[in-house]
Amino acid sequence: MSSLRTGFRCLRDIRQTGKAATAQWQPTSTASLAYRPRQATNATRSITTTATRLAETTTEIIPSDLEPADQGRSAVVQVPYARAVPVSPSYFSRKPIFNDAFVIVQDLARKYARLPIIPRDKVTPTAWRTKEQYRLAVGEHVKGRDYATCMKLAKRLNQIHPDLMPEEVTAGLLPFKREVNYYLNQPKIQPIDQYGRSHGVGKRKSSVARAWVVEGTGEVLVNGKPLSEAFGRVHDRESAVWGMKLTERLDKYNVWAMVSGGGTTGQAEALALAIAKALCVHEPALKNPLRRAGCITRDPRKVERKKHGHVKARKMPTWVKR
Amino acid sequence: MIIREFGVRQGRKALAAPLRRGQQCMRALSTETSGTPVATADPAVEAALQTSPENPTVPSLFARTAKPTRRRPVAPDTTKADWETAQQLRHNLRNVGAQVEHRYSPSDVFRNPPGPKDVTLELLMASQAHMGHHASVWNPANARYIYGIRQGIHIISLEQTAAHLRRAARVVEEVAYHGGLILFVGTRPGQTQIVTQAARLAKACHLFTKWTPGTITNSDKILPGLPVEIVNEHDQPVGGFNQHLMDRRALVPDLVVCLNPLENFTMLRECSQANVPTIGIVDTNTEPTWVTYAIPANDDSLRCLAVIGSVLGRAGEAGQKRRMEDAKNGKVTWDTPSEIKQFMDIQQKRAQWTKRAAEEEAATKDKSGGLNGKPSSGSATKDSEVFDESMQKLQMEVDAATADDVSPQLRKMSRRTD
Repeated sequence: MSSLRTGFRCLRDIRQTGKAATAQWQPTSTASLAYRPRQATNATRSITTTATRLAETTTEIIPSDLEPADQGRSAVVQVPYARAVPVSPSYFSRKPIFNDAFVIVQDLARKYARLPIIPRDKVTPTAWRTKEQYRLAVGEHVKGRDYATCMKLAKRLNQIHPDLMPEEVTAGLLPFKREVNYYLNQPKIQPIDQYGRSHGVGKRKSSVARAWVVEGTGEVLVNGKPLSEAFGRVHDRESAVWGMKLTERLDKYNVWAMVSGGGTTGQAEALALAIAKALCVHEPALKNPLRRAGCITRDPRKVERKKHGHVKARKMPTWVKR
Repeated sequence: MIIREFGVRQGRKALAAPLRRGQQCMRALSTETSGTPVATADPAVEAALQTSPENPTVPSLFARTAKPTRRRPVAPDTTKADWETAQQLRHNLRNVGAQVEHRYSPSDVFRNPPGPKDVTLELLMASQAHMGHHASVWNPANARYIYGIRQGIHIISLEQTAAHLRRAARVVEEVAYHGGLILFVGTRPGQTQIVTQAARLAKACHLFTKWTPGTITNSDKILPGLPVEIVNEHDQPVGGFNQHLMDRRALVPDLVVCLNPLENFTMLRECSQANVPTIGIVDTNTEPTWVTYAIPANDDSLRCLAVIGSVLGRAGEAGQKRRMEDAKNGKVTWDTPSEIKQFMDIQQKRAQWTKRAAEEEAATKDKSGGLNGKPSSGSATKDSEVFDESMQKLQMEVDAATADDVSPQLRKMSRRTD
């Protein structure tokens, strides 16, 4: 049948094809550049070898010009009939991978529309690929509307009762799922070491505090000094052990801490965070009251950098009339 | 941020935890004393359990005041068993009761697609193929397909429809028989299933999204590097054409079937420029000269389009079947395309010359090795001269072959040989 088009070829505008040939085949010529270095290596070899081997290298250039897979292809050339066909039926849509997957999802949605489903909040959380992630993974510029339509069907299919979920649905939805389902990640359990210590790290402003908490009688050592020596202000002392005070654990644990950087406020509140975290390792049930007391959340505020044209971070220079 | 009011307001209430003596591990305290919302166990029950007779302890404030939670017992999930029972019941009761005659279901045409032999005026009438547009919006070129006017709309002559549909089915079948590439296009919403099913039957391509302008006329820009494979007469993929697949131009369909020509004028125009025959469903408001083979029918009814699509798909299926049978019997109904043929010729000639050069070289080596153990440079240059001459000859042959059939990548390929 392909002869039908070629039969009419004499009627075509040859000039146009010739014009197109110069411009549109440039990418392919750059792609074929990949073969040139191989020739170049041959040439350098011919320089380094003696003159007697010159003839040998000249003949070698021809096979090296070909694909390595084509080297032993004498049987391939013998194929009497060969024609080119597209691999995917969605060839002319420009997005064959997506459209093939989309057709599969549509067929599955139609086929398994009657299977019982479970409510959306009971479904195991699934990490779906966003449109941008899918585009990156597949390399096709999928349209947002098409992807949304596809995802709507895919999420409906994912709601099928897990005991009745067919194999082909699982396989058909695979291209739209992320490789790692981050919803299934488990937090790492912090250990209590052999001496009964738990370790916590806290930060605030530019201070960093590390605290080791062990069961005891309420001794607190900050950088080797008792709390009253480490912090001059009563307010700072109170905030440093705020988590323990609040939960009435002040007399049940000993704390040994190292604090560095920043000023007294930052150090005290960094210490509060570190102690609260270490306390949670001993008693995980305390996490909620500690969080509500504000001891678990890292305060992200930092000193804002100075900008040029400003006196400080945001302060503008005083306006002077000339 | 530390909230200092929290301790004053709620700390004491939330954590009424008297320290008990005689406990091995102090940190075990928190599980029984903390009345925090995270504790999922029933606090009243837990308090009762912990109060042993020999070591009575005062239950915490929270535990004393807390009421036992009332939870419904979790019923076992019987969805799967219920579903299977329902299926079984449906199967068993299928033949019970009155026999309701099955008339029409929209999915019938997909479950059991009609072929060209099933085309009857009744089927076309039932699928509303005869309904045209309002008489005011007609295209007079369709006058010969129109039977009359009823209630202001044109009625398409179903005899014409059936005849044209059979002719189109024949075209599709023969194109499939001769190994052509067929493309089914239906870009209106709801036509996806029709188009994909027809393509699946006819082993063809489908398009249900927008036709990208230039897919045929500017295919080097629009469809570069989309996967294409080389198959033999039995449709089995053959290897060794990597170089050709990298250099070749994009494919062009050999026949395009368009369900909605009105929206795809650009595509039909490109097809006519590239001499690609087209089949289109022509309603009373469509220009019939846009397509090569028109099928006068109602292009607004999905039911009608499904019938026509499945008829054409079945025709393609029959053509493919005939082709495969003929290939099995040694009759190949298509010619190798010229660009692939030339690629194969060049490969063959290259292989021949490489082999010959290697033989000559081996002979020279033997001769010179027998004389003084060193190959003479004179014979080597002579060999290379012979080789250059042969390559020039090959070049000229290739140029002559490509002169009538202008194919830029072939030219480039031949240029690369020298």
